[in-house]
Amino acid sequence: MKRFLIAILFITAAVMAMANGSDEETAKPIKLGGVWPLADITGEQASKAAQQAVEEINAAGGVLGRPLELIVIDSEFKPDKGAAALERLATVDKVDVFIGGMASSVHLGQIPTLKKYKKLTVWTGAASHLAEEAIGPDADWYFHLHPWDYNQGEGYVIGWNAISEKYPQIATERWFMAYEEGAFGSPSFDASVAMFSDMGTIDGDSFTSAAAGGGDYTAVLETAKAYKPDIFLWAGYAADALPLMEQSKAMGFAPPLYVGAPPGWPADFGASELAENVTLYGMWAPSISDISAVGKKFTDGYTEKYGALPATYFAPLGYTVVYVVAEAIERAGTLDTEALIKAMEETAYDSPLGETITFTPSNIIKHQGLRNQKILQWQNGRQEVIWPFEYQTAEPVYPFPGWDNR
Amino acid sequence: MKKRLIITGGAVALVLLILLFLWKPTVVIYGVQRAGLYSAIAIPMGLVLGIVHIVNLAHGELMMVSAYLTYFLATKLGMDPLLALIPAAVVLFGFGILIYRLTISHTLKAPELNQLILTFGIAIVLVQAVNLIATSQPRKLSVDYVTASAKMGEVHFGIYDFVFVALAVAILLGLQWFLKKTKTGRAALAVGQNPKGAQLVGINVDRTYMLVFGIATALVGVVGGFFLTKQSLFPAVGGPFTMKSFALVAMAGIGNLPAIFFAALGLGVAEAFISSFQGYGGWAHIVFFALIIAVILIRSFRGGK
Repeated sequence: MKRFLIAILFITAAVMAMANGSDEETAKPIKLGGVWPLADITGEQASKAAQQAVEEINAAGGVLGRPLELIVIDSEFKPDKGAAALERLATVDKVDVFIGGMASSVHLGQIPTLKKYKKLTVWTGAASHLAEEAIGPDADWYFHLHPWDYNQGEGYVIGWNAISEKYPQIATERWFMAYEEGAFGSPSFDASVAMFSDMGTIDGDSFTSAAAGGGDYTAVLETAKAYKPDIFLWAGYAADALPLMEQSKAMGFAPPLYVGAPPGWPADFGASELAENVTLYGMWAPSISDISAVGKKFTDGYTEKYGALPATYFAPLGYTVVYVVAEAIERAGTLDTEALIKAMEETAYDSPLGETITFTPSNIIKHQGLRNQKILQWQNGRQEVIWPFEYQTAEPVYPFPGWDNR
Repeated sequence: MKKRLIITGGAVALVLLILLFLWKPTVVIYGVQRAGLYSAIAIPMGLVLGIVHIVNLAHGELMMVSAYLTYFLATKLGMDPLLALIPAAVVLFGFGILIYRLTISHTLKAPELNQLILTFGIAIVLVQAVNLIATSQPRKLSVDYVTASAKMGEVHFGIYDFVFVALAVAILLGLQWFLKKTKTGRAALAVGQNPKGAQLVGINVDRTYMLVFGIATALVGVVGGFFLTKQSLFPAVGGPFTMKSFALVAMAGIGNLPAIFFAALGLGVAEAFISSFQGYGGWAHIVFFALIIAVILIRSFRGGK
């Protein structure tokens, strides 16, 4: 009898231990490894929004009955740090999926590491076609959300042609581009000149960005003023945004359309009255909440959690990437890479950016998500969508009001 | 002979400026405005480098720190930045003295390379500290008066930047008065010329160094407050101005504070002139440093400082 009792106790303990082990296995989190530049507003807000999505998904029961865990490492805007972050995520944190991304230069440094591990990778940044060339056509595990530079160029042509067709009073024939003389502005100008066979005439001049020790735009604004453009477009950095507007006002330069195309805007730009009716490019605006339930859920959730509206489209991209991956894992029912890739290819995610995200081939890679930036305009301190018309939240204000008429 | 040369050179420069104004008025207007900004930042460096011979490669970064301080005072307390710069400058004075006491005073007798490396290190620490506290996100205060403008016939131009010319002149006149009329100023000149001799006649050399460094830091702190009204702030914003200030002080001749203003005038107008030709804006930087190299070479052939 004594032996029998001991045997029963032993079997019970063994069964309980197995059951506990099984619980631990099912509760083991699915790890997403993110890499963004955290000192920059783009990376900071993208990672915050990704965490917001993780918490929402976990509150709803997680994925495959397991919680999601987001581990973010700062790329510091440096290619070597970005690559080292991926190494750490793969070897120390042992993440299941790579997400993140901002800046082509960083991404170029990360691509050899991505190719080494061949984990499912869903990237929110890097627009340069050079990154696409470096990834190459065989990387089935690579999914790119952000449009490539040539996608954006084609999108602008389509957008402005559509605007001038719908609003014949908006002249888009004569362009002047003020571009910073560094690695961002000069290639942007060259690319613009190349695509202007479909868009009218363009002239331009360079300036030294405040980010590179400049900050005096008087010469380029004088040249632009003398050119009398229909559209004045500037391509510099966030640090140039308000000083450029201030100097334009001081010089009485108010072209019919004033367009800015920096990669990011200062957080408080919209609060300045100088921002009113400035047109800009971007993938998202808070006003998308008016036309998209997912957009509203994202914007309200972010604002409640972090106490401020997101200021860059990298925030909804960070949110989107987590949902896209989570839904794919749920569809695949496993973390096996082949099955995940197949599930990712079936993605049709109604995103807070307005668009439904699907992946189709681009010039080189097989899985490209978004294609266009949107054309937005500051109106009453808020970014409104002007084009694509299916996401339009306001009619464009035209012409850009003169400085004396405000 | 030297006086006649200066008068003749000045007269030629004035005539050239007038002719340029008749041809391209905005070049002269914007060139003078640039000169104001450059010289306002460079003159305090001229005081430290030229008078007491401390090589401070953290000069632009100290301006950046003051600009951030002014920014936070202005935004948190709702002060106008031109008022907020007063407490910021006072804090910078103390900060300058602290930096001098903790670091620079220990390198005064060492080779100048040590000061270079030390202040370069301070510059990096300041940039990274501000990066950690305030992030690299650009910040800009939007104040109405910076868009003040005037019209002259068909020419419509901003006038706020002339405030930098006034600031540079005020700093220059104030320093001239300080160096020539006050006991501490005369002591600073003596210490700069011969520290051992100054000590022998009873001047507290260490205190003089400390005061001059503190005053220069406070002055660049004032400039930082004005700078904030014109440009966006980010941690690396000061670095290029350290280099430009260093170049201007070298071009003017070490110790010659008024010449910094005229050197900045020449360079500011030259930059604005080159930039006024479409497609040649990038040459402005080359002209800046080419002019400096030319002036320093000419001076060295003539045996000047």
